[in-house]
Amino acid sequence: MTSLELSELSVTFGSTPALSSLSLNVKSGDFAAILGPSGCGKTTLLRAIAGLVTPNSGAIRFDKKLVSVSSLVLPAHKRNVGYLPQEAGLFPHLTVGENVGFGLSAGSRKIKNSERNERIREMLDLVGLIKLIDRKPHQLSGGQQTRVALARALAIQPAIVLLDEPFSNLDYALRVDVSEEVIALLKKSKTTSLMVTHDREEALVSADIIALMSHGTIVQSGTPQSIYMGPQSAEMAQSTGDIVQISAQRRPDGTVVSVLHPQPAQFDARSELGALLIRPEEIRIHDTDKNGSYQRATVSRVKYYGHDAMVELSLPGVGSSEQIPLLARVAGPVEYAVGETVYIEHHGPIRWVSKKVTDR
Amino acid sequence: MTDSTPSENRYRHRKGLTAAALLMLMGALTSCAATPEAEKSTAPITLYSGRSEELIAPFIEAFTAETGIQVETRFGDSAALAAQLLEEGANSPADLFLSQDAGALGALSGAELLAPLEGETLNQTPKEFISREEDWVGITGRARVFAYSPTRVSSLPGSVADLVRPEWKGRVGIAPTNSSFQAFVTAMIQSQGEPATQEWLEAIIKNEPKLYEKNSLIVEAIDSGEIDAGLVNHYYLWEVASELGREIKVQNHFFTTGDIGNLLNVSGAGILKSSKNQNGAKRFIEFLLSKAIQEKFVSDTHEFSLEYPELSPEGVPQWSSIGAPKVDLSELADLQRTQKLLLKIGLL
Amino acid sequence: MLDTNEKLPRNLRESNRDNRPSTLLLLAGVVALAFVALPIFYLFRLAKRSDVETLTLLIFRAKTAEIIFTTISLATLVSLFATVLGLTLAWTLHNVKIPRNNLFRALVMIPIAIPSYIYAYCWLSLEALPRGYFSALIVLTLATTPYIILATFSAFSRIDLAQLEVAQTLGDNPLRLFTRVIFPQIRNTILAGSLLVTLYVLSDFGAVSLLGVDTLTRAIQNTYQGSYDRSSAAVLAIILLILSALVIFRENLWRNESYHTITSSSITKAGKKYTQRRVRILASTLIVAYILVALLLPMSLLIQRFVTRERALDLSNLFNVTSSTIVVSAIGAVLAIAISIPLALLSLTGSRLGKFAEWGVFLVHALPGIVMGLALVSFGAQFSFIYQTLILLAIAYSILFLARSVGFISSSISRVPKNLEEISSTLGKNKRETFFRVTLPLALPGILSGALLIFLSAMKELPATLMLRPTGFETLATEIWSSANIFRFSEAAPYALLLVIFAAIPAFLISRPDRQNSNRGEIS
Repeated sequence: MTSLELSELSVTFGSTPALSSLSLNVKSGDFAAILGPSGCGKTTLLRAIAGLVTPNSGAIRFDKKLVSVSSLVLPAHKRNVGYLPQEAGLFPHLTVGENVGFGLSAGSRKIKNSERNERIREMLDLVGLIKLIDRKPHQLSGGQQTRVALARALAIQPAIVLLDEPFSNLDYALRVDVSEEVIALLKKSKTTSLMVTHDREEALVSADIIALMSHGTIVQSGTPQSIYMGPQSAEMAQSTGDIVQISAQRRPDGTVVSVLHPQPAQFDARSELGALLIRPEEIRIHDTDKNGSYQRATVSRVKYYGHDAMVELSLPGVGSSEQIPLLARVAGPVEYAVGETVYIEHHGPIRWVSKKVTDR
Repeated sequence: MTDSTPSENRYRHRKGLTAAALLMLMGALTSCAATPEAEKSTAPITLYSGRSEELIAPFIEAFTAETGIQVETRFGDSAALAAQLLEEGANSPADLFLSQDAGALGALSGAELLAPLEGETLNQTPKEFISREEDWVGITGRARVFAYSPTRVSSLPGSVADLVRPEWKGRVGIAPTNSSFQAFVTAMIQSQGEPATQEWLEAIIKNEPKLYEKNSLIVEAIDSGEIDAGLVNHYYLWEVASELGREIKVQNHFFTTGDIGNLLNVSGAGILKSSKNQNGAKRFIEFLLSKAIQEKFVSDTHEFSLEYPELSPEGVPQWSSIGAPKVDLSELADLQRTQKLLLKIGLL
Repeated sequence: MLDTNEKLPRNLRESNRDNRPSTLLLLAGVVALAFVALPIFYLFRLAKRSDVETLTLLIFRAKTAEIIFTTISLATLVSLFATVLGLTLAWTLHNVKIPRNNLFRALVMIPIAIPSYIYAYCWLSLEALPRGYFSALIVLTLATTPYIILATFSAFSRIDLAQLEVAQTLGDNPLRLFTRVIFPQIRNTILAGSLLVTLYVLSDFGAVSLLGVDTLTRAIQNTYQGSYDRSSAAVLAIILLILSALVIFRENLWRNESYHTITSSSITKAGKKYTQRRVRILASTLIVAYILVALLLPMSLLIQRFVTRERALDLSNLFNVTSSTIVVSAIGAVLAIAISIPLALLSLTGSRLGKFAEWGVFLVHALPGIVMGLALVSFGAQFSFIYQTLILLAIAYSILFLARSVGFISSSISRVPKNLEEISSTLGKNKRETFFRVTLPLALPGILSGALLIFLSAMKELPATLMLRPTGFETLATEIWSSANIFRFSEAAPYALLLVIFAAIPAFLISRPDRQNSNRGEIS
């Protein structure tokens, strides 16, 4: 049970900044997901926590205790951190059992042989690979390798587990299974974990908290729902799901006007120009304009995914020729044809972003 | 670890027959000579031998059998061993040095590394084969000779000086890097002076001699027809024939009496000053100078016995009859001057 | 971000940002450097005693210039020919489908077990060409080609075949493929191999003396043996050292730092091979021709000599000498490895001391055995507890042949994936434990190859052995020498055969493909 606290962490490689003034708190026992595009510094963050990279400034605390402050660091081998890199990184010269037991004989963790063997079996049991204890890593499948790597990391009873896109090398079908299994194991053991990923579903499904990362810093963090529902920018919104932006203006009284939210008021010179961020599932499609509050739109394309479908719509804008594109997610079977006229409404929170977005 | 049991074992197993024959000879010898008490010590000696293992090993075995003295032997090239002894100086583990030529012994004598010899060791050997300081003694004699092909050479030269004549152009082989040739040049400088020697060497070079690494290669080359003649030591005739396992078409010719080309060099032995077993070393030299060993030596190598000229094997003349020039062998150590000369004229 | 009154935990350390080597490693580096510096120091001490007149005569004369020119041209041409030949043979074995490929791989490597003096002797027996420069060129090329083959094999096995396939789809023909994709990647390895060959020729005595070519090494030997003039020999040896320093410097200039072969574990290894009949016949002919000339010819001459010898075999002596040879060579190999591992680690950290020591290692590799012997006699005579012991001899071997192993070792250590070392550290292992439990086991195949190479080199060594061995201690090489020296070549034959056979075993082991790429590439 260890909490993790990062304050104003900065790392530069030569003159290239990798992390800049990054701060993040993860509560004891939480599973945190770091979500961000490739190259944003996710891996460097994990390596800094593990002690494999020395920060230029900032502090890292495990359970309020400093493990790194400016150039003073606790070396990696004393941090008691479980690390799962992208490739499982099993030691090719050791068997599965020896890999799992690798961390069980060092310095302070000196334990008896029988105890060690018991721990190895226990860990392999946990990941369901006890039968493969005498195999060499090259005889394992990718998923098995990942699970052995996890068993190896957990065997030392780490304070914190760090996972660097551990499932990205697996086939899609396997990935979902293994990832759910591994995450469930971690949660069961109540180990504070930090997983780097660029798979937003994986993050949303598994994490207790999600931290969005961009250009070497955490731009937003919170529960999956708060991150999904209340993104601070279009970019952040996009990193957790599909998004549509439509131009809008906000009047001094706080009401918002857009093509989806027409208000019978005149233009107010004090109105602010901006945009609304709309999730496709918040758009509802109706066949008729029952109460006269829906907007007319034309179906321009339908993408069918099986469990649901994405309907691309176009909405007439303010000018006569302007067409505003829109997305709507529809569950189950879809009966809309391209060119069909439908009526839509927005059924969700108003997410206002002040910056005028020049879409397309 | 350094006790090298392998070599001891080998002496015991190898050439057993030769050793047995030698033993019988030794038996006769020792029964006559009364051995003083002091000489009964059997402390081992360390020998640096510039003479080959094949030749010396049976003698060592017989020596150990007779005296009980173990001999640790380091075989190597005479000059290399001399250089090693010079480098080791007073710290040398060696008791005794056996050299293929007088020059190497002279170098050690010059560095004052050799202990004076005395008594019987010196009495047996003719004076001219003992160093001036009486710190080394000749064991066998080896003469420089003109080796030639009897089919291709009709008129033999009377002197090495004749080899500069046009008729020998491109026909003669020499081994300028070999110590036997250098000893010969040293002797020439000693007897005729440096300018005359330089003149002769330059004339020889103009005559386009073929250069070889070793005497034996010259003899082989004469046999194969590559060259017609060469300046070598006398015993290579038999050595090469024995290696090739057949008769060779090469003969030895001595120049006129007293010609420097007939230089009689020696293989010899000296005791290191730093030796802690001078007595054992002395007994080994005496052993090598004993008649039985000399006879075996001479028949093995076709070299000359200095003490017992009559022991010459068939086909080899007695050393006293070859017309060797009078040369102070102690002077042969002055190789510096020779090398400088050879360097200067480009033979090295 | 940091409360001013927050106490700093005592276990925090100043970080080692530049990956500076540890004190222990630096100490090991200093010891290794001392080993290398030892002969050079004694060499200069010997040279200091020299007489100025002889020296001037020796250095400033046309003959010396001629000797230096011969030395340089021979070393350059041999390394050029051996590189071309070795590269061709290795490329062929790697890329053309030839039956019994592993057997041929071993056979082209085994000539590494044959000392140059045996080659030269066999060449002379053939009477095909007269003694001289040209013969030496051929003999030395044959003898050194395996060093290039060895280097190239391991370089080839590290090339990602996926790249080649991509290049082929982009329209590269085989020649362009080689010059644009393959060569840039193997370039450094090839350069290192040809440096070894150059240094081999610079320090070779056996072939040049038997074939009568005036190189510096032969001049050193002649000066030394002719006049017991240790100091002139030392001066010539210093000239030789300067030459080698230039060669090493040049190699460093040519080395291209930017090409590092990919060490990812996802390398594709099993590639397509050329199967066209014409190519296969051409390739087989080339390989068989080399094996015939470089291996079967000398072997059959030795066997013929062996069969026609007159004396009975002295089996116990053969046994004793063989076991002594193996023991002392093995000690030398172990010592050399013990020195080269810290050296390799040091030079991998980019430390200046490491670079310095690595250059030193190559520098002393150019020292002829006799010079090494001379320097260590000079050293050992002052320390009688070590003089003429197996240890001093083994030290000489390790110093002489360190260069042959250090490249092997540093490249196999550098190929251990960094992430495995990092994982080990997150699992609680400090640097030392990580090295012994992860790095060392993974680099072991390369380290063993290095050790085997030193082992077989030590078995063949003659001049230093003659001077430094314990009195009465014989090796196969000294036995060959003592018979050949008195022209009993047939008596030398059993020892020569044993030497080649026993040196061929490590050569064979090195040639096995699994020795050259360690097993970490297997994970996909």
